[in-house]
Amino acid sequence: MKLSRRCFLSLVAGGAAGTALSPLPWKLADDSSIWSQNWPWTPVPPDGEGTYTLSTCTLCPGGCGINVRKIDDRAIKIEGAKDHPLNDGGVCMLGLSGLQMLYGPTRIQTPLKRAGDRGQGQWKPISWEQAIGEVAQKLGDLRGLGKPQSLACIAAKDTGTVGRLLRRFMSAYGSPNFFRMPSVEDAYEAAIYITQGAIGSAGTDVNNADFILSFGSALLDGYGSPVRVFRANSRLKELNGTVVQVEPRLSNTAAKADKWLAVKPGSEADLALAMAHVIISNNAMNQTFIADQVEGFEAFARMVQEKYAPETAAGKTGLSVDVISEWAMKFASARRPLALYGKGKGQVPGSLKEALAVHALNALVGNINAEGGVWALPAYDYINWPDIETDSVAAAGLQTPRMDGAGTDKYPHARYLTHRIAAGAEGIEALLVAESNPCFSLPNVQAIRTAFEKIPFVVSFSSFMDETAMNADLILPNHTYLERYEDVPVTAGVTQPTVGLCRPVVEPLYKTRHLGDSILQIAKAMKGTVAGAFPWEDYESCLKLTLAGHWETLEEKGVITAAGYAPGGFETASGKFMLMNDDQGAVYMADDVATEGNGNEYPLVLIPYDSIRLASRYVGAAPFMIKTVSDAVIKGQDGYVEINPETAKTLGLADGQLATLTTPVGTAKVGIHYDEGIMPGVVAMPRGLGHTAYDRFLAGKGVNVNELIGFVEDPASGLDAAYGIGAKLA
Amino acid sequence: MSSNEDPKPKDVTEEAHSPSSKGGGGGAYLLLFFLIGLALSMVVGWGIFPKVLYSTKSQPFDFNHKLHLEQVDDSCQSCHFLREDGTFSGAPRLAQCIDCHEQKEREVPWLIYARQPDCVFFSHAAHIKGAGVDCVTCHGNTGTSESLRTYQENRITGYSRDIWGHSIAGIKHNTWDRMKMDDCAACHKDSGSHESSVQTGRDACFVCHK
Amino acid sequence: MKQAQTKHQPKRYGMVIDLDKCTGCGACMVACFSENNVPFKEDETDKRLSITWMKVYKVTNGKKFPDTEVCYFPRPCQHCAGQHEGHSPCVSVCPATATDYGMETGIVSQIYTRCFGCRYCMGACPYHARYFNWWDPVWPKGMERYLSPNVSPRMRGIVEKCSFCYHRYQLARNKAYTEGRRTLKESEYQTACTQACPANAITFGDLNNPDHAVHQMAQPDLHHHYKPKNPHAFRLLERLGTNTKIYYVSSREWVRKAGDNYQVPLTTDSHGPENSGH
Repeated sequence: MKLSRRCFLSLVAGGAAGTALSPLPWKLADDSSIWSQNWPWTPVPPDGEGTYTLSTCTLCPGGCGINVRKIDDRAIKIEGAKDHPLNDGGVCMLGLSGLQMLYGPTRIQTPLKRAGDRGQGQWKPISWEQAIGEVAQKLGDLRGLGKPQSLACIAAKDTGTVGRLLRRFMSAYGSPNFFRMPSVEDAYEAAIYITQGAIGSAGTDVNNADFILSFGSALLDGYGSPVRVFRANSRLKELNGTVVQVEPRLSNTAAKADKWLAVKPGSEADLALAMAHVIISNNAMNQTFIADQVEGFEAFARMVQEKYAPETAAGKTGLSVDVISEWAMKFASARRPLALYGKGKGQVPGSLKEALAVHALNALVGNINAEGGVWALPAYDYINWPDIETDSVAAAGLQTPRMDGAGTDKYPHARYLTHRIAAGAEGIEALLVAESNPCFSLPNVQAIRTAFEKIPFVVSFSSFMDETAMNADLILPNHTYLERYEDVPVTAGVTQPTVGLCRPVVEPLYKTRHLGDSILQIAKAMKGTVAGAFPWEDYESCLKLTLAGHWETLEEKGVITAAGYAPGGFETASGKFMLMNDDQGAVYMADDVATEGNGNEYPLVLIPYDSIRLASRYVGAAPFMIKTVSDAVIKGQDGYVEINPETAKTLGLADGQLATLTTPVGTAKVGIHYDEGIMPGVVAMPRGLGHTAYDRFLAGKGVNVNELIGFVEDPASGLDAAYGIGAKLA
Repeated sequence: MSSNEDPKPKDVTEEAHSPSSKGGGGGAYLLLFFLIGLALSMVVGWGIFPKVLYSTKSQPFDFNHKLHLEQVDDSCQSCHFLREDGTFSGAPRLAQCIDCHEQKEREVPWLIYARQPDCVFFSHAAHIKGAGVDCVTCHGNTGTSESLRTYQENRITGYSRDIWGHSIAGIKHNTWDRMKMDDCAACHKDSGSHESSVQTGRDACFVCHK
Repeated sequence: MKQAQTKHQPKRYGMVIDLDKCTGCGACMVACFSENNVPFKEDETDKRLSITWMKVYKVTNGKKFPDTEVCYFPRPCQHCAGQHEGHSPCVSVCPATATDYGMETGIVSQIYTRCFGCRYCMGACPYHARYFNWWDPVWPKGMERYLSPNVSPRMRGIVEKCSFCYHRYQLARNKAYTEGRRTLKESEYQTACTQACPANAITFGDLNNPDHAVHQMAQPDLHHHYKPKNPHAFRLLERLGTNTKIYYVSSREWVRKAGDNYQVPLTTDSHGPENSGH
């Protein structure tokens, strides 16, 4: 039988009919549509049991409580801890982004030893035994040479068990050269000591003030404990309180303030003292407080009346005499006025004169150690460790002066002058860097990197491949804050001594080790009195023993506060607040802090500013944060500077164009962004951009302002007081 | 269903001119071929296709639900329970097994018959507690089974055959025979749930989707 | 359109955002990204392509230094009800039944698997609240571990938007059912942005419930398409009749006027330092 065409067609027709009557086409269509909705490369997050872990955020000094939502062993969301004394459920963008750091590609997963040249990023994974052994060997050699003082250590903080373990290690080892990263605390601590005789940080009772006069503090961009300050600001809105922001730029804080006093950069001290002049001239000070508790008022009054008339300040600040007088009087007549010191988030210590001037305003209205005012806050006293026994090598090393000169007769008001590393690191043979990124976040970062090049042995304990880790010889990676126990003493302006507990939300993901354990093990490997200073088996037992009775409360609540704490009297010789004495006279008489770069060659002033959408301390901004940054700040890879259209036009610069920004320290390609909210003659750039390390979501975007600005030492204290730098745009 | 036959032009002409040139048997032949085609495709569609479409996988081990049900106090909820936060625990984890059994090394990678696509939000709480639906209504008599069924996985979608149902024609005899969206919707309609969707007049999309 | 056949009072979830308190910090945006598995790309500076369910806009009063003023507008999906309940601009144009309006909650939903990417809804939305996935989402290796199982990750070729964290409503109801309740407390269902806001500027709840803070703050007028009776409250582009569920409160008149830019010519700064326009 021959299969004819028609038979074949018939067969096909039968087949088609049969197929249509079978489930095949319908089922295939259904399945294909389901398939097309479920691409195998679209992740399906596995479900499981949901739990919450209470912990403390350490990404900034704010110490907010966090509640981390987990599904089985995965952390999926960070939320603010409800009822926490600092943030009560609120959380900032940095805190919210923590999981991108925990699970992100910039984690260092194992100890690393440099394989190529410094900074080339070539690493060889090594074991922890080898890593600890190499550090102990190298440090042992230096001690053997009788040069323990040539070991330096840079850390973010000097408090808490980890900060104290680092300092203890340095002492037992025999080096006085422990450095804390600079911050406004340096200046505040000095001001509190000079005026009140107290050793401790400044607590600012923003929650109870009804009039906040902020001298450039980024209240709404991460100053102090950020959520706490946000809440205080919202409370003031509800109560019709007042916020006055003194700043050359319409920052978020200025935008939301009741009054923005746009002053010329660097004239804040003059404004504060002129306001003091007005208050004193009008007899508007708190007479009782001045009479009973202040020493040196007459001398102070004489000084401001002679040198700081509003007319003089008007010229320096660019404000009118009327405006200065009006707001000085409003400040003085408020029920609970509070003046705040510290520009931006407080990463630059600033001038001691300015700190004292602002503090003096508080004293004039009598709100020192009072509700709604400034409190001296001693360190929370829970660390009681036995004294260290030092051997002769250590004892000799500790006798040598600090290499930055801090605390010497020349710089009695400074505990740390960390910025000086940029001026050269001669004498440093080995450097330990903990939870800080000096190769990115110190001013004149090129000089810092050059200084690092000369240090023969650099050890980083970073969890992330940051700029400093890139320039290290050995990396002993720490657990991230979501993988470890740690006490977090909060000094960021809080008025109650507060310690949070950071605890493991997830098991350590990689072969990392707690910084505390690394220190203990290095010490133990060095034997002798160095090992003897560390009688603890491991960090966790050290922490539990140290916290002793507090441990259970911390485990349960995540935070302890010495509730009801109230500062006692003043600890000065007279028991009074020292408004003026010889020390202060010297500070007030010292020259003003000048910017680098003269006005002819550099007609503009470049000022860095802080944004809560960027991170500029130890950690870099997470991808989520960069995603929220405006296209007026970064466009493509280019960073933009804010400039007043009037200034830009005189320079012939169009909105959106690229230009070259030059300062005495460096030069960079920047975009021009016209902004009416900035004072003519001033150019502003955010901190936290221009990373060279980290991942592709952050690296190479914008310009690191620390490449354009150097430190300027405060003549009175030696602290870095640079508020800006001369600049030109072409 | 193509043919390699390459009819000569001559044949084509011939056929075109004499539609029934091969004699009286032509119509029957055509019918025969039609039926052959029909039969073959029906065999493929109903018989072979389902076998090809699904791969069979065996569970890690054969679990006896009946035996366990006799041992526990709180029927199904003893092992498949609502957590305190209202979510459903699903297949038990190792941690629950070792309440009774000796320590085992690792989690059992159960194949879940009733697993829905990721876009589905199914609330056991709403069904069990809110609507008082029995486990059997959707899961059939699994609880009293002595042996686990073979798990069949759709090669295209990756989902269990239980979603479409074991009848390849999609015919269901029992409420638990199929778990497609239409089945959810039908039950919701029958049980008088709110017709709150502006688009469909049925339950709103977000009630069951995420 | 079919009318809802509800026997009880339906919910009308909505939000009041206090623009006096809002600092433009953007925590709401990141809380949303993190809660809802929102993807991110290497370059997010082309803001038209940047998926931000919640987005903080910056508006200035257009005056010169030093009289410049700035206000921030956080903008989630406005969950429009339209002139008759459910006549949202997006719902009425969707040919795929992918976007829907729930009469029980007043929430505009988006079902990703249903969407085929025609983007009519994006054209219809006057608030640019909808975003198209031009690319498949990619998380750096290992980072997919933080993804939440409560929200489906989206794929290339579909539209997504703010859902008022509907999964939180689902989870809260789960808990209520388990405890034998049918009603939710005000605090049980809150969106991620509301919860995170460090300034307490966002309030969320049921606009129909006089006990809820949003009702008291916005004072919606039930007889006039829920227009706010609070003189400091307003809704974005009120005159379009979209009848949105996001109310803004500001003590500044120019800010209130800026909320309806059909009324007053206004300079919006699309290149504000803390955000960007379209």
